[in-house]
Amino acid sequence: MTTAPQVFDAGSLPANDNVNPYAFCVDLNGQWFLQKGKMIAYYGQIDFHGIGHGPLDGLIASSFHSPLHASDWVVAQGQGKLLLADRAFDINSYDLEEGNLTVRSGNLLAYEPSLSLKQSIIPGFLTLIGTGKFVAASNGEVHFLEPPVRVDPQALVGWSDCPSPCHHYDHQYLRGVMGGVRAMTGLGGASGEEHQFEFVGAGTVLIQSTESLMAERDTGAVPQEDGVPGGGQGDRQGGAQPPGQGGGLQRRFGL
Amino acid sequence: MAQFRLEGTKVLAVTLGGGSDAVKAKNGAMVAYDGQMAFKKMTGGGEGLRGMVTRRLTGEQMAVMEVKGQGTCYFADRASDISLVRLNGEKLHVEASNLLCTDAGLRTGTTFTGLRGASQGNGLFTTTVEGAGEAALMSDGPAVLLRVTHGMPLQVDPGAYIAHQGNLRQTFQSGVTFRTFMGEGSGESFQIRFEGDGLVYVQPSERNTVGGDV
Repeated sequence: MTTAPQVFDAGSLPANDNVNPYAFCVDLNGQWFLQKGKMIAYYGQIDFHGIGHGPLDGLIASSFHSPLHASDWVVAQGQGKLLLADRAFDINSYDLEEGNLTVRSGNLLAYEPSLSLKQSIIPGFLTLIGTGKFVAASNGEVHFLEPPVRVDPQALVGWSDCPSPCHHYDHQYLRGVMGGVRAMTGLGGASGEEHQFEFVGAGTVLIQSTESLMAERDTGAVPQEDGVPGGGQGDRQGGAQPPGQGGGLQRRFGL
Repeated sequence: MAQFRLEGTKVLAVTLGGGSDAVKAKNGAMVAYDGQMAFKKMTGGGEGLRGMVTRRLTGEQMAVMEVKGQGTCYFADRASDISLVRLNGEKLHVEASNLLCTDAGLRTGTTFTGLRGASQGNGLFTTTVEGAGEAALMSDGPAVLLRVTHGMPLQVDPGAYIAHQGNLRQTFQSGVTFRTFMGEGSGESFQIRFEGDGLVYVQPSERNTVGGDV
């Protein structure tokens, strides 16, 4: 037998820190928002409230701005030590100071109410704004990169401060009809890495160390309005398909 | 007596000295061995006919094999993390699905746990391991050991519970209110509350539970 495993109790659990790479302990004194089903154990007096009308209205008005996915979140209220974990994925906490960070919806586990949670303009992402701590999971360790950088879409966890998340396609991949044929048939050697997300500007980009995504969480629908990405209005012809993804050959020839 | 040792965190190495040295392990969990080993399927968890019937009735079936021989046998199951528990006469309660390997000198049995199991989809029963020797537990992610003392009870999500030992009383706690039925459930409506003096093992992951979505 190797070293004896460490035994924790309410006093020896770390306060607002990781217990091990896969479990995080919140020293709760007041309220925290957490995603449903991420609590694994707790000491102390803690109540869990679904988000809706009621005594928490004020709190929700100030820190929760995504009404349509409220059913995925709960408020933990009380005093004690709360253990969070998510399917044995790596868990990290992040501190924001008058900052902002956008994270993939499935990766966010919990956050302090001094932050406010909003839907990102980019579908499937959530943005946290303000000062405070939040906890996010990733499939494998998280790495921090500084722009300018191009990252694989599946490895992207989130970013902070960056003004320009955009798609990038390799020129070779796009060029001409052959590009289209390659994309559709795989002939001519597609490397599978022709499409990336590009970030420039000051900030930090977070990536995980595998390309298997965590299950997406619904972030709620956005208003059905012109000019709102994902709003679904005026379904532009071929709009859902980025160029170079095969199909739409007619469009390529300008027909 | 069989010597239990961890190779990394996901492989269990058991050294057997021949003779009457034996361990009971989850069927098919052997990944490698050196020396001479014999594997024998034990119908009904090796608890005799009564044990077999009990397990069948309670839904705590374990497909168990007996491993005997001389050498080192390696066990692993779906890259689960493994924790070793040394027992000196105490009783360990564990979910049958989380038990990887026990010393053959340990007695295993089935007990009624009350309502907890029902919410967990694991049935109303749990497996007990008793005696002196070592046992190996599996968990999805490394297990966290939490101590419960008098005046400091612990609440655990049924999906994250693996095992407990010591003098603990468990009660089933439900936070179901009318709001649950209004579609504003908290998702954390069911918990097991442990009171007394002992240790609880939880995993950083949740099984799918019947109560999990409420």
